[in-house]
Amino acid sequence: MTLQAYLTLAAMLFCIGLFGVMTRRNTIGILLGIELMLNAVNINLVAFARFRGDVAGMVFTVFTICITVAEVALGLALVILIYRIRRTAVADHLDLLRG
Amino acid sequence: MAATGDYALWAWLAPGLSFLLLSLVVPLRRSGRPAAWLSIVFSAGALVGAILAWRATVPDMARRILWEWIPVEDGVLTSVGVLADADSTLMLILVALVSFLVQLYSLGYLADEPPASLGRYYAYQSLFAFSMMGLVLAPNFVQLFICWELVGLCSYLLIGYWYQRPEAARAAVKAFWVTKAGDVGFLIGIVMLWSRTGTFDFSDLFAMAQGGSDALTGIALVMFFIYLGAAGKSAQFPFHIWLPDAMEGPTPVSALIHAATMVTAGVYLLFRTSFLFEQAPEVLHAVGWIGAFTALFAATLACVQADIKRVLAYSTVSQLGYMMAAIGAGFASAGFLHLLTHGVFKALLFLAAGAVIHAVASNDIFAMGGLARRMPQTFVVFLIGTLSLAGIPFFAGFFSKEEILGATWAGGLTLPFAMLVLAAFLTAFYMFRVVFIAFFGSPAAVATGAPAHGAHGRDAGHAHDAPPIMTVVLWVLALLAVTIGIGFARSHPESEFVVPGFITPLAIGVAVGGIALATVVYPLRWISPDWLARRLAALNEAAHERFWLDDLFALAYRSGILGLSRIVGWFDRYIVDGILNVLSAWTLTAGDRLRRVQSGQVQDYIYGIALGVLLVMVLLRWPR
Amino acid sequence: MTLESIAFGGLAVVLLASALAVVLTRNLFHSVLYLALSLVATAGLFLSLDAEFLAAIQLLLYAGGVVTIVVFAIVVTERLVGDRITQTSRQLLAGFGIAGALLVAIIAVFRRAPLTIPRPPMSGDLTRTIGESVLTTYVLPFELLGVLFLVALVGALYFARPDD
Repeated sequence: MTLQAYLTLAAMLFCIGLFGVMTRRNTIGILLGIELMLNAVNINLVAFARFRGDVAGMVFTVFTICITVAEVALGLALVILIYRIRRTAVADHLDLLRG
Repeated sequence: MAATGDYALWAWLAPGLSFLLLSLVVPLRRSGRPAAWLSIVFSAGALVGAILAWRATVPDMARRILWEWIPVEDGVLTSVGVLADADSTLMLILVALVSFLVQLYSLGYLADEPPASLGRYYAYQSLFAFSMMGLVLAPNFVQLFICWELVGLCSYLLIGYWYQRPEAARAAVKAFWVTKAGDVGFLIGIVMLWSRTGTFDFSDLFAMAQGGSDALTGIALVMFFIYLGAAGKSAQFPFHIWLPDAMEGPTPVSALIHAATMVTAGVYLLFRTSFLFEQAPEVLHAVGWIGAFTALFAATLACVQADIKRVLAYSTVSQLGYMMAAIGAGFASAGFLHLLTHGVFKALLFLAAGAVIHAVASNDIFAMGGLARRMPQTFVVFLIGTLSLAGIPFFAGFFSKEEILGATWAGGLTLPFAMLVLAAFLTAFYMFRVVFIAFFGSPAAVATGAPAHGAHGRDAGHAHDAPPIMTVVLWVLALLAVTIGIGFARSHPESEFVVPGFITPLAIGVAVGGIALATVVYPLRWISPDWLARRLAALNEAAHERFWLDDLFALAYRSGILGLSRIVGWFDRYIVDGILNVLSAWTLTAGDRLRRVQSGQVQDYIYGIALGVLLVMVLLRWPR
Repeated sequence: MTLESIAFGGLAVVLLASALAVVLTRNLFHSVLYLALSLVATAGLFLSLDAEFLAAIQLLLYAGGVVTIVVFAIVVTERLVGDRITQTSRQLLAGFGIAGALLVAIIAVFRRAPLTIPRPPMSGDLTRTIGESVLTTYVLPFELLGVLFLVALVGALYFARPDD
């Protein structure tokens, strides 16, 4: 398959993830959307690495996967904390930064 | 000889030390009487130092002790120290003496003051003595100017000593502003002089004047500016308006600052720098004319005052005019001599007046009356002061006033001379008017006096002599006035000029004439004062209105400065502030509107990011 | 139609379908399961790109670790709320519009400048190369990754600690 195909697929996945992030009310749902977006990025990285014969992209993917895991762990910890304090997981209710 | 400077330095620094102690050691200052005694002891020390310094002087020799101050690239810009010679140490004695006596007297006069307030008073007194001595001993214009401003500050603080009273506060500010107006000229003059000669030092300038240096030719403008400072401080027309109001201060303060010492600083300055003024004869001429006019002008005003302190205040202005006239005539030492004698007997008059005010709790002479019997001691010393001021032989003022009359005649100022003679006549008249009204006759039924200073709630009927501590001071000054007068009569000092033979009889004649007129008008009532007032209606009214000069100043102030301020204020309020207010209002409104963009919800921000990315992508492709 | 393109097409369909399911399902738990499916499909894509090692850690860390954590989180929050969490969405149209516009824009970029790099033949063991470069060229980021994990661990503990 061509590089273009991989990139197009990744772009679609990214946009689906973005859609999820933008529309989900639940904070965990938002996190899932973020995971999808990161996946799209990973696909791009690996595809470029493979087609250019440069291993750097794959090493980066290793790092992103690890960092993502850490991010998810922390993000969920935050979600639990918000649950505890605000008794809600609905992002609409979390507007401390409102001007 | 070497010791002169050291003694002078001692005299100068003693009140300074006392001031430091009183100002820094707060509990001491708040203790009141101990603070007072500390200040008195130090000023007694200063007096001893001053006398020793004077005794150690050698004629025509000046002793200088200088410390370098303000070093600049090539040498020293100016120094600080003492310049002790026969004249400055003589002045030093006057300052120390009056300062010491007044401080002693104040102990009785201000006995009812709260301790903290009394301590403050004595701290100011010490500062004043220190500053005035620094002025007297100044070896250059810079130190002189600094001390000049310091005494002005003390004057302000002491006039406003009873700052709770609005009149006192207003008078203090008025005195400050009016003298400051002159001081600006003084400062300009000093700097101009420096830019011409490159020095502030009196000795250097004296050497230049002796050597006929080119730098000193055509300095009329410079000297005029310096004279402005002196005119402000010494209450010369038209700057005299602050001095009568300055009487709102405690009477001892009036005696010390506004009669004997500070107001004479202008005369002293002109005397001290007369070698410079001689380079500008036209300025000297103006000084003489203004001085003589001030003398006559203030004398007419003194004739209609009902407030005993104001009579004395106008009398002080008048006498300062005499001194200035003598200096203007080119005989500065005659003016200086009158300065010294005037310092003694005017302090005496003020302190005696203070004793009267203390006793009757009023300033109004018509509310007194018949005090000669109840306050015999005060009456006698007041009479001695009055005779001195009127210029009766064998009293201190006679000889010095005669000297001034001779000096103006010899200096060729004929019309000023005539004015001074007339002023001398009026002086005798208005002083005896006060004596007759206040000490003879009977107290007026209605006391219309202003609220009194050392209020005791007594009236003239129950008045009695002041406590011993005040009376002693009065007697010391009275004795001095008499001994100086007799001393002059016995050893007539050599004059610098030839006094025509008619001067002495003329001086005595006008003095006696003035006294005679007062006698005829007041105790004998051959001529009613009202009739006299009607005959001179215009003059009387003008004098009552202080020749509208205060009004003129107030008008100039209101229309000029206040008008300008109003324009500036309007511009500031509506144009400058207006622009800023509009800008800030816009900023606020814009911020308030933009605030709503911040919903605080994560997903709205993500919309923003996504739209931003889209925008960037569209913009990147747009130009092609 | 080569076997490769059939495989790619299948993977792509599974990936996109499960991704859409993730963002559209109302049931949060199902949505997590769909996420796991899409992660597995991604691992398949990695395999098709000859990155076996990456496919392995994708399965282990992502599909294994992340999904487990999310499930835990859901269970914990549901217990905290004491109610079933239902997934609702908001502003579906706006989200669709923006996401779609972005997709159109990205694809427009691709069409304007098509990337026609041929796929180079494989050279050597890719896993070995990755391992070598991680421990040589990228050793500093690799070590920092360890620090990051420590920080995340401590942070997660701090956030999730019981109230005292």
